[in-house]
Amino acid sequence: MTAPAKAGALVRLLLDRFPDLAAGLWTDEDTVEVTIEGERNVALLQVLRDDPELNFFFLADAAAVDYGPTERFEVVYHLYSDRHPAWLRVRARVNRADPHIPTLTDLWEGAMFHEREMFDMMGIVFDGNRDLRRIYMSPDYRSFPQRKDFLLPDDAADSSAAGVRPLERPETWDLTRLSDELAPGVVAHAEAEAEAKP
Amino acid sequence: MALKTTPDPQTAAEPSMAEADRVLTGGTPPIVIPDQAGDDPILAEFGMEEHPQGGFHGLLEVIPTRADIVLDLIRANSLWPLLSGLSCCAIEMMSTATSKNDIDRFGMFPFRASPRQADVLIVAGTLTTKMAGPLVRLWEQMPEPKWCVAMGTCTTSGGRFKRSYSVVQGVDRVMPVDVYVPGCPPRPEGLIYGMMKLQELVKQRRGEWSTYVDRGVQRIDWEGDVR
Amino acid sequence: MTSEVKIPDPLDLDLDEEARLRRVAGLPAAKTPAGEYAGFESVGLPERPPQTEREREVYTLEEGEMLVNMGPQHPSTHGVMRLVVKVRGEVVTDVDPVLGYLHRGIEKLCEEATYTTVLTYVDPMDYLSTMHNEHAPAIAFEKLFGVTAPPRAEYIRALVVELNRVFSHSLMMGFLALDMGGITPILYGFINRDEIVDMLSAISGQRMLFNFFRVGGVNWDTNDEFLSRLGTWRDHVLKNVEMSERVLTDNEVFRSRTIGMGTLSGRDAIALGVSGPNLRASGVPFDVRKAHPYSIYPELEFEVITQSGGDSNARYLQRIAEINQSIHLIDQIVDKMPHGAVQAQVPGIIRPKPGRAYAAIESPRGLYSVYAISDGGPNPYRFRMRDPSFISLQAIPKLMPGRLIADTMAVMASFDPVMGGVDK
Ligand code: SF4
Repeated sequence: MTAPAKAGALVRLLLDRFPDLAAGLWTDEDTVEVTIEGERNVALLQVLRDDPELNFFFLADAAAVDYGPTERFEVVYHLYSDRHPAWLRVRARVNRADPHIPTLTDLWEGAMFHEREMFDMMGIVFDGNRDLRRIYMSPDYRSFPQRKDFLLPDDAADSSAAGVRPLERPETWDLTRLSDELAPGVVAHAEAEAEAKP
Repeated sequence: MALKTTPDPQTAAEPSMAEADRVLTGGTPPIVIPDQAGDDPILAEFGMEEHPQGGFHGLLEVIPTRADIVLDLIRANSLWPLLSGLSCCAIEMMSTATSKNDIDRFGMFPFRASPRQADVLIVAGTLTTKMAGPLVRLWEQMPEPKWCVAMGTCTTSGGRFKRSYSVVQGVDRVMPVDVYVPGCPPRPEGLIYGMMKLQELVKQRRGEWSTYVDRGVQRIDWEGDVR
Repeated sequence: MTSEVKIPDPLDLDLDEEARLRRVAGLPAAKTPAGEYAGFESVGLPERPPQTEREREVYTLEEGEMLVNMGPQHPSTHGVMRLVVKVRGEVVTDVDPVLGYLHRGIEKLCEEATYTTVLTYVDPMDYLSTMHNEHAPAIAFEKLFGVTAPPRAEYIRALVVELNRVFSHSLMMGFLALDMGGITPILYGFINRDEIVDMLSAISGQRMLFNFFRVGGVNWDTNDEFLSRLGTWRDHVLKNVEMSERVLTDNEVFRSRTIGMGTLSGRDAIALGVSGPNLRASGVPFDVRKAHPYSIYPELEFEVITQSGGDSNARYLQRIAEINQSIHLIDQIVDKMPHGAVQAQVPGIIRPKPGRAYAAIESPRGLYSVYAISDGGPNPYRFRMRDPSFISLQAIPKLMPGRLIADTMAVMASFDPVMGGVDK
């Protein structure tokens, strides 16, 4: 089945109900994606769930994404409906400096663990959630490991390559970071290679 | 200590005496204890008589040894592991205990649910910081003598999760380890081999407890940064 | 009389002890760019009430109630899980699951791994369905990168995935019986499991954490040893399943401990996010293989099986029905398997274009899905896994009040949670 055939009816229906969603609408072969502001999540998802033509009754996933310290958080919901052959993805934007978003636990009780996990890992606060405490880390843990500014220890940091992992991020190769005394061989090799190239 | 005596060539040359011994002792050659001459009233009470070539022979075979060595022999052949699986390696540990691999053959089956009845802690799976405390507590609840087997790369070094924010990089950072079994997960044969190494270790200890006690003290000294 | 008691957490370490252990363990190993230990320095803590409403509710004891701690080391918690059970006499009044004793930070580690190595990191997640763990990321990465696996690779994938489902379900039957005190079924389950694991290790070269899937195909083609083991296994598997079923299904003790236990209605199950066999046992015909067909499932003939009971017994019967269904699917797959390559042409280090992909599959525990975001680099910008048993566990506090404490484990085992997946 081609992409429009799967998503077409759903897109038309969505735009019929919510004309203002057109701006953030995007589809791929089996997903329809809409982008909203965080505060709107409960109102929108309630309609999506209860409207008999939409009938997105199953909350398949709720995940948080960190778009970097200067950007925003996003809470991404994936919904399933037996009426439409496509997943519906709702991306709700959250202010990163003041991460608050209404809870979904009144619509789906099962959003509870999703939200506790997002709170634990990203530090997003779900207003109205009755049980927002850490679920994985111990209660006295103080940081949010899945934020992008939480960096994992790098074994390579102690090595002569000074924190550069050549295999994984070649674009960060910066030979000025390798001092001659630490890695003379590497620098010499790189220079020889640079010369050899026309 | 002589577990088996080689037949004396002279005794072998005199069939009548050897025959009599064999009948008396039920087929096994007599145990000759050369340096305990004299008529010992205790041995006599057990039916032991002086042997014409020195030493004693009789109904009861006597192996003079230290109780600790015997106890270690018994311990080595009836290791009771604690039924405590942390993650994926635990499934291979169970597989080791069930029909196909059957670790029971080597005298280490009854997986005990209570640490107070267990000898061996097989740390099977990733140890996280949150679980480290309860695991140390389990270890401390096990009665001495006790042994620890680190199963899988996660417990030997952190393995594939070494860089994670919540994983202890090797269980030897929180408790002493006797045998490391590498692999992710180790095959059941690997765990059996590791446990047989542990049996060797137990037998080799020969009742010497000193090193073991020392290591216990050492762990408490590990307050500083071990990195 | 209501008295508010602050219960000290019996097994969580106090801060000093935890700090000591972390220091001993060389943790927290995480450094902020400034070189500070991120584990102890806050990186923006939102205001959080000292106790949540729900926490206060669980830990407030009324006259005659007491708290019982189960786990994290408990012979039947299926790994390191802890349940704080509030009881009045023998009757459970509330349950609070405490998770995280196996949290290994897999999602974070995947963000730093190349797309190929992500497929090794997800293996230990749900360690009884390793093949499924790799299936969803493989599909998601193929969507991101725009490659498709060759048809033979898709057939081999479906074959190994269904084999994995069979052994996962047969172990579930064993664990369920084990938690009620019966040892025989787990031995049958492990016989079945060892046979299949040997078969799968013949094709993948590794036991248990098979690491068999690749982006754009699978690692190896089928070989003679795999096929001969498959044939031998297929000859007697139905007999094996029937054997272990005969021990349990009509067993009087088993029936009285499962029928009517932990009854979950379809509506509640959907609200709680329960999926997979547990949801279908409540009568909701939701199977990702039919609802959003992936791989080769559109080409295979099968029906979505449901039960009407919604109790532990229905969940058990559902597992047996699915074992038989999987064997039926395996027959079809082997019959239809085409010839050809098993791996599409992909570069060693994959750099998809920036984009997002969502892939969901039906794992033995339910809807397992992956949401991957690429920023054009060699590793995923964000890699999210939705594990079915994590979400299904929320049903336990709903089902247990009013039941006996001895049934807690039996009901939990009927949901078949795997802590590796629950805690990630
Ligand atoms: S060593 Fe491998 S199999 Fe064992 S717990 Fe670690 S990841 Fe799992």
